[in-house]
Amino acid sequence: MNFELSDDQKAILESVGALLVRHAGAERAIALAAKAEYDGALEAALADAGFFGLAVEADTGPLEAALLVEASARAGAVAAVGARALVAPQVVAGGELAGPVALAVAGRDVPVRFAAHARHALVLDGDVARRVELGPGDVAPVRSSFGFPMGRIAAAALAGGESLGAGSGERLRRWWRVATAVETGGTLRAALDVTLRYVRERRQFGRAIGSFQGVQHRLAHADVQVEGVRWLALEAAGLDAPEELSAVAAAHAAAAAKSVFDETHQFSGAMGFTREHDLHVWSMRLQALRLELGGVEAHRRAVAEARWPAS
Amino acid sequence: MQFGWSDDEQAYRREVQAFLAEALPDDWEAISAGGPGSDAQAEFSRGFCARLAERGWLTQSWPAEYGGADASPWRHAIFGEEMWGNGEPRGPQYMNVNWIGPAIMKHGTEAQKAEHLPPISRGEVLWCQGFSEPEAGSDLAALRTAATRDGDHYVVNGSKIWTSYANHARHCFLLVRTDPESSRHKGISVLLCPMDLPGIDVREIPSVVGERYFHEVFFDDVRVPVSCRLGPEHEGWNVVSYALQFERVGAARYHRAALILDDLAERARERGLLGDARVREKLGHARTLCEAARVLTYRVIDQRAHGAPPSADSNVARIAGTTAEQAVADLALEIFGEESLEYGSYADTRFRWAMTAGVAVGATEVQLNLVARNRLELPRE
Repeated sequence: MNFELSDDQKAILESVGALLVRHAGAERAIALAAKAEYDGALEAALADAGFFGLAVEADTGPLEAALLVEASARAGAVAAVGARALVAPQVVAGGELAGPVALAVAGRDVPVRFAAHARHALVLDGDVARRVELGPGDVAPVRSSFGFPMGRIAAAALAGGESLGAGSGERLRRWWRVATAVETGGTLRAALDVTLRYVRERRQFGRAIGSFQGVQHRLAHADVQVEGVRWLALEAAGLDAPEELSAVAAAHAAAAAKSVFDETHQFSGAMGFTREHDLHVWSMRLQALRLELGGVEAHRRAVAEARWPAS
Repeated sequence: MQFGWSDDEQAYRREVQAFLAEALPDDWEAISAGGPGSDAQAEFSRGFCARLAERGWLTQSWPAEYGGADASPWRHAIFGEEMWGNGEPRGPQYMNVNWIGPAIMKHGTEAQKAEHLPPISRGEVLWCQGFSEPEAGSDLAALRTAATRDGDHYVVNGSKIWTSYANHARHCFLLVRTDPESSRHKGISVLLCPMDLPGIDVREIPSVVGERYFHEVFFDDVRVPVSCRLGPEHEGWNVVSYALQFERVGAARYHRAALILDDLAERARERGLLGDARVREKLGHARTLCEAARVLTYRVIDQRAHGAPPSADSNVARIAGTTAEQAVADLALEIFGEESLEYGSYADTRFRWAMTAGVAVGATEVQLNLVARNRLELPRE
């Protein structure tokens, strides 16, 4: 057990960081969102640097991929990093899948994150996962308030593609939960950071609003949740996505996404509703993340099912 | 960064579990129902801790020069989880090992070390902590119990309250104000005070938590030798701050909560409730909170393993632990329904134990203050 980054992990995060400084950040996210665009340049840069292979390379593994996903989310990246770097390598034989990659559930006609720009979808269909190559006309873009470019995948496309074999559905579900939890953790931390900066500076009644105990305690509670999400998610990635722990991480992430959204907006006042203030870049995404795979109730039931099987 | 237990650590956990299976008597459930401070459990701890000492486990986390084995903080954590998970058969003695001993090692004179550390490591002595006072609870620095210098003695007057284990303790880790002109954190000293000195009166405070759970300790012109002072005069706040960081994550209460939850799930199954989606969701939620508390505590243990100074991460872990413990206790009441209302029933004993979690070792609000200040860097005004 070791919670500190190794020198190799630090080096990876440094080069990831250098790339994200050029290809991510709130300003870029806001500009892309205005046109409902995907950050193809970031995706290409991550691919060129070999980061999508982190999960399967000899010297690295899913934990390093998870650190990449977390850093990307924290930087407000508009790219499906979790699906391609963390999920696809565990589900698709041979590891990598050409991106962008969207994650979808069979039979559900709902907006799917990144689908409008995706080359592939991994579709969860009960016990199996299917790989679907998306062609022109397969996806209709969907306008959304929730921070990600989205699309609706046509029923025929969603039902098509190639089965990835026995056990692939369960693998997809576990790693999807882990990837969502890791991404939520990075997004939560960024939303909290923006809010902390705001309440330290914003003065009302002659004092910084962050000096009121009523504000401090609620933000401290939020910090406890965010920190828990972070470590549960990284631990789940590092331990190869055990069924119970993956669901635990996803459940904690979904619950935190709801409450931290509420708190960060409450303490950012009307400023938090504007597009000139950065909070929305991360906060609105939290709502999309917390609904994936059935949301908090489904994750909690999955925890119980994994730990105390009914039969 | 790397997670999971090594083979050695897993083997050690199995060894501790096997030992407990053999060492805990058949009526352990009854003995432990009153908590670590009950007469039955304090008495049990004497023989039990001696057995741990024989195996070299009791103070294994201590440095070799004090009779320990320099065991890693992780090994100590595994040991603590298994002990707390099983209702803490060490009774009050977990405190001796976790923070009283380490505080004496760090701040004690050679004579104090020679007097106190061997009996602790043999498992034959009980301590209590004299911190809270009627007017100094969460605001510990408001304490007023006075120790006035008279030659080579301090004359102690005042009272301590909520003192668990005071009825059994041979010594008290006692916070006093040695400088009457001082206020707040300055002018406080720590005394390693024998509990059999004339003028000390221990009275039980009846409570709904359990029998012999809380006491008030009165000091009436108690003459304590100056040689009992731990650390420099008037500088006791540093001594106690150091000790408290160990105390906050010293008891693996989250692990006990997790094991109770496993138990609850089995009982829910017996009652045909496990198929109920609502019950499953609540079980899953409580399990999630236990896991969050676990991983946040591991984060603190990891810092200790790296030799990092104590940080507000221990407050984070403590807050998460309290949340988990309360969620499990609430669920116990819901699963057992009105059966919980009978004194001594399964849910009743678990609930009463958990109800102190948000207050013991510093109220949750104090922990939140420390997180806000030290982790979130929010301003004071």
